[in-house]
Amino acid sequence: MARGERVVTMAVSVAQHDEHAREVEEDRILRVWTPILLRTILIVAVLVLATGLVLTLTIQPDYYMERYRQAQLGNLYGRENLRNFLPSIMAGQPHAVLTLGLFILTLVPLARVVFCFILFLRVRDYAFVGFTLYVLLGLIIGIVLGRVG
Amino acid sequence: MLILGGLLLLAVAAGFVGAISGLGGGVFIVPALVVLAKMPMRVAVGASLISVVATSAGASVAFVRDGWTNLKVAMVLECATVTGAVTGAYLAGVVPTWVLEGLFALMMLQSAYFSLSKQSDALLTEGGPIARKLGLAGDVPDQAGRLRHYEVIHVRYGAPLMVLAGVLSGLLGIGSGALKVIAMDQVMHMPLKVSSATSNFMIGVTAGAGALVFLSRGDVATTIAAPVALGVTSGALIGSRFLPYLKVEHLRTLFALILLLIAAEMGWRAVNGL
Repeated sequence: MARGERVVTMAVSVAQHDEHAREVEEDRILRVWTPILLRTILIVAVLVLATGLVLTLTIQPDYYMERYRQAQLGNLYGRENLRNFLPSIMAGQPHAVLTLGLFILTLVPLARVVFCFILFLRVRDYAFVGFTLYVLLGLIIGIVLGRVG
Repeated sequence: MLILGGLLLLAVAAGFVGAISGLGGGVFIVPALVVLAKMPMRVAVGASLISVVATSAGASVAFVRDGWTNLKVAMVLECATVTGAVTGAYLAGVVPTWVLEGLFALMMLQSAYFSLSKQSDALLTEGGPIARKLGLAGDVPDQAGRLRHYEVIHVRYGAPLMVLAGVLSGLLGIGSGALKVIAMDQVMHMPLKVSSATSNFMIGVTAGAGALVFLSRGDVATTIAAPVALGVTSGALIGSRFLPYLKVEHLRTLFALILLLIAAEMGWRAVNGL
């Protein structure tokens, strides 16, 4: 085999190896870590929500019914004050615990986008790193808009 | 306790029907909360958005793992749906209820059409310029398990439809899955199964964007949203287990009929609220 042909064969072999390594990395992120983390977040959210509902039912006999009637009238509890949020959770305040559970639940799609961001970053697909960052930015803007709106 | 049990049952039923019809729980839980539980539209929309996030969370993991989801298409189109969803959820705070009810009725008509229409599954061999530049083509296994290559076209027409799907999701508390699948299958000519899986992946992010606006605005009735999310997710899980044993083709007409009834009820409410 001529020297030139050997160089070309080696370059093809290295390219194939790189491609294979990329596929293995992609596979590991998608098939192993993504489902584990997403399921964990989902289970934690369900447990927190169930705890919040139990607290709602046990705090006062009429508490749930009162909140239900208020919701029917369109009177919502309002947003949590960030400064009091953690102390309210620690005190077992049902609305704060339920709000925490719902926020954890919305972390699932957020985590999925973060995984895609890591994936595209690892395979050096920078156009898609940009698209993923835009989506993440959109989700953050959603939180900010909700706070100011 | 009785009220909570009733709410849970309602949510389980909505999740079950949503899963076996392929339309998602949001389409059924919003009218169920408005008509049966007598909740205002805004409360129903907030609770439904959360339940859509919960339902899609479990389902899309399996699709990504099985290789049906086209992640690149999902990411490009999510830029459009997230923009729309944040705008829609923001507008939901200021748009009159009768407008929301009217839009919901129109969406139900579109879902009924989707439920009855037959989608083609022909694969394209030549992609459009944007799709080629971004490398959006993919491979999909056929019935024999062989990988078949498909190309994607008309990204520039699909993206605005996705903005619309996002706006409607944020405004109405639904996943807008029917609109997303139509945009990918009929406009961008992607294979139907890939369109469905990619739509399912996108629904969670779209609804998540809207839910975050509602949650941080304090517009979610937590005591309603929590049991609804738990119930719809359980119902969807039961529905997906039953799905292989059901002859869904025979139920299509029934689903379309239910959607038409919901459209009529919501349309009537919109007219009365004018």
